Amino acid sequence: MSDAGLLKAAAGGSHAAFAEIASRHYQPVYRLVWRMTNGAADAEDMAQEAFVKLWQNPAQVREAAALKGWLMRVAANAAIDRSRKPRGAALDEAPEVADPQARPDAPLDREQAARLVDARIAALPERQRLALSLVYFEGLSNIEAAAVLEVSVDALESLLARARRGLKESLSAGWRELLGGLAETGQ
Amino acid sequence: MEQDKNPCEDRETRAVLAHASAPQLAPGAMDRLMARIATEPQQAEVIPFAPRPRATFWRYAAAAPLAASLALGVWLGANGKMDFVMPSAVTGGLALNDEAPVDDLGGVGDAYAEEGLT
Repeated sequence: MSDAGLLKAAAGGSHAAFAEIASRHYQPVYRLVWRMTNGAADAEDMAQEAFVKLWQNPAQVREAAALKGWLMRVAANAAIDRSRKPRGAALDEAPEVADPQARPDAPLDREQAARLVDARIAALPERQRLALSLVYFEGLSNIEAAAVLEVSVDALESLLARARRGLKESLSAGWRELLGGLAETGQ
Repeated sequence: MEQDKNPCEDRETRAVLAHASAPQLAPGAMDRLMARIATEPQQAEVIPFAPRPRATFWRYAAAAPLAASLALGVWLGANGKMDFVMPSAVTGGLALNDEAPVDDLGGVGDAYAEEGLT
């Protein structure tokens, strides 16, 4: 059944239809929130919140075809709101990310590379991070990502260009090292 | 996915981002979501219908003066009671001359001008 049909059924109170919607879209929404919050402990709560909002009033989604984008927008806004709220430095919210570049002579292992890239993504401005996550991690087209961000495609491309530049600058020497695999495989 | 305007930079970015962590959904996340959904009420989609109040007698009262005004105007016009305020070209022989040509509308504007009426 299409998202439109499922939404209609969910609006009628069908838990089964809503479960199907969740099975289709929960993972990408969760991944986006995780990326936006750098793996915060409450990433699941924020993703859940987007679905609860949908359940409470499925009719608020004007275009059923854009349901995934709608969920991502709601979840991303929740993540951005959370990042702007002043909060105490809870231990679980301040993951210690060891900077592998502290020892530039040591080659990066897989886990270090992941932590390094995650940390650099997390350091990007939130809208750049969101644009990057939508396009590069979630595979949305520029048009779809622009719709989620509620900006023009040109503005999205500008965000992406700045995100790429920012990432490259912040990774500096690590950028080449991370590209090593690419060079080896001749891609 | 659309390719970026700078394919080399785009490819490099993809290669670097491929090293990022792949977030995994915690076990039972979907069950927790559905359990929460089960406790959340849905907002009613129906817009409460507010019936229009029945028209009362007084809602029609406004029409009475208008109707009376119209009736008075017709009565005055038919009886010529107010002809003295009208130009003679409108109320006099010329206007009532049946033999006048059809296109002779009596020169109402001229009549007002001649008699100095506005």
